[in-house]
Amino acid sequence: MAGKGTILLIEDEETIRDFIAASLRAQGYKTVCAGGAREGMELAASLCPDLILLDLGLPDRDGSEVIQSVRKWSMLPILVISARSQEKEKVQALDLGADDYITKPFGISELMARIRTALRHGTIASGTNPAVEVFQVGDLTLDFRKRLVKAAGTEVHLTQVEYKIVAFLARNAGRVMTYAAIISHVWGPYMDDNNRILRVNMANIRRKLEKNPAEPRYIFTEIGVGYRMAEEE
Amino acid sequence: MKIQKGWERLGKLFSRQARPREYWQHKWEVTWKNTLVTAAILAGVTFVALLYNRVSEGTVNIVMFYTVALIFIPRFTEGYVPGIVAAMVSVGCVNYLFTYPYSRLDFTREGYPVTFVCMLLIAVMVSAVTSYTKEQSRILAEQEKQLREAEKEKIRANLLRAVSHDLRTPLTGIIGASSSYLENEAALSAEEKRNMVRHIGTDASWLLNMVENLLTVTRIQEGNAGVNKTMEVVEEVLSGAAARIRKRIPQIQVSVRVPEEFVMLPMDAMLIEQVLVNLMENAHFHAHSKRPIELYTINGEDEVTFCVRDYGTGIPPRRLETIFDGEALNGGDSDSHKGMGIGLSICKTIIIAHGGRIWAENHETGAQISFSLPRQAAEGA
Repeated sequence: MAGKGTILLIEDEETIRDFIAASLRAQGYKTVCAGGAREGMELAASLCPDLILLDLGLPDRDGSEVIQSVRKWSMLPILVISARSQEKEKVQALDLGADDYITKPFGISELMARIRTALRHGTIASGTNPAVEVFQVGDLTLDFRKRLVKAAGTEVHLTQVEYKIVAFLARNAGRVMTYAAIISHVWGPYMDDNNRILRVNMANIRRKLEKNPAEPRYIFTEIGVGYRMAEEE
Repeated sequence: MKIQKGWERLGKLFSRQARPREYWQHKWEVTWKNTLVTAAILAGVTFVALLYNRVSEGTVNIVMFYTVALIFIPRFTEGYVPGIVAAMVSVGCVNYLFTYPYSRLDFTREGYPVTFVCMLLIAVMVSAVTSYTKEQSRILAEQEKQLREAEKEKIRANLLRAVSHDLRTPLTGIIGASSSYLENEAALSAEEKRNMVRHIGTDASWLLNMVENLLTVTRIQEGNAGVNKTMEVVEEVLSGAAARIRKRIPQIQVSVRVPEEFVMLPMDAMLIEQVLVNLMENAHFHAHSKRPIELYTINGEDEVTFCVRDYGTGIPPRRLETIFDGEALNGGDSDSHKGMGIGLSICKTIIIAHGGRIWAENHETGAQISFSLPRQAAEGA
């Protein structure tokens, strides 16, 4: 099980650190732990881990400072651990450059899935993986070259904007994309902050792609944060 | 008995001892505000009187102008000082400006002390009456505030009592199971060990749900102002709630429906999601629904109604009215899954804070709990 990669875990609560570290090791990741932001930043610089698991509520410094400091020199994936009710902190962490977040409390299987996704996107970003041309999850296929979307075998007609949104989410499947990130990708950086137009578009997309728009299987809502495309495991 | 009390009250009203010293000091205080208001009203009246005097040459009504001013001044000031000072100034003004010989003070005229005493009396009486009414309305407002505080305190105390009672049960289970595991590890079979750990997990996740419920209450501070509303898409909230309950109770069966029309509502999505999760959890644990629980919305003109419908045992009719008031906490019911009352009373708190309504009803094959949220945020919310 060797060679899965090194994970740096920055978390101040000992009980949580212990159980996460034990599970990561059991899954074959080399795991290094830090109990505070300062120690975490030093370890990140000296070890160059493949991924950082970061708790936002650290005793010595704010977790977002760690994100900023790491992003100065590396694009390595950062996965943030946060509590449910802190939507603003989540959005802030993502906007600062974190790759994804996981909400406390979480199961180990969920955490492992997020780590795999983050590591995969890490390798794509560093250019070792060729860009995918077809995206598939469940009954949904997206052909990026032909700009073709199929759900359950039949072609779905999306408007230009709708296609852009779906394609952007599919390219980042498994990761949450904030409203701001999607808006600036689809409409450009000068679009105002109002996310209503995005959400109207999303409602239309769901009515075209999903069997039951109230129980989506492909595009999930992260309330107060953004959207996440499902990913083939 | 009653009469005696009434006398006592009257006595208190008029006895100096009943009032603290500061109270009387306050009544005789000279403040900038009082001085300015008094000066302004007097100046205004003098101006009007001068105009009137130019036009009609009559001096009888001039006294009337000043009398009116004397009634007004205590209304807009506090204490006795402004009224009395105003009375003296008025008498002086009438004498100096409007009675022969003009521009000269002359107190020797016949009947002058009568005018003076009358004006002084008016000023003192009006001051006394207005300050008494002001005092009364202040006391009333204070009493009302205290009552509201007491009511809030009562709700808080009830909640706290119910919560601590409910939290103890799963905690006992967790502590018991873990210590039993550690002490008897050798004697337990693998199956028993697994079961123990599973129980710990179940109890802990129940505790977590309870804590999350309590946290939502802290997100609501005071009435409407405490809820942080943003425009949210209804179907996203429904699917979020369904996903959360499925994660927590994997065997639960839920079907979600939304109208074709796309709706956005002002709400705190996290709180509304919590309400839906609580309602679905109730339907699952208490009603023992035989068919999937239905979660759907109806778009009305001014409001959107959310419904959670189950096909189970229904709600006893005598509890339909009080089910949201935390009455189920007091037990007396054979079906006492932990924390039902808290969940529902928290739902009510959340919905009311959004300016909505929540109600329960039975249908032929089960029960339905619905709540509606206004499409437009209420005035001032």
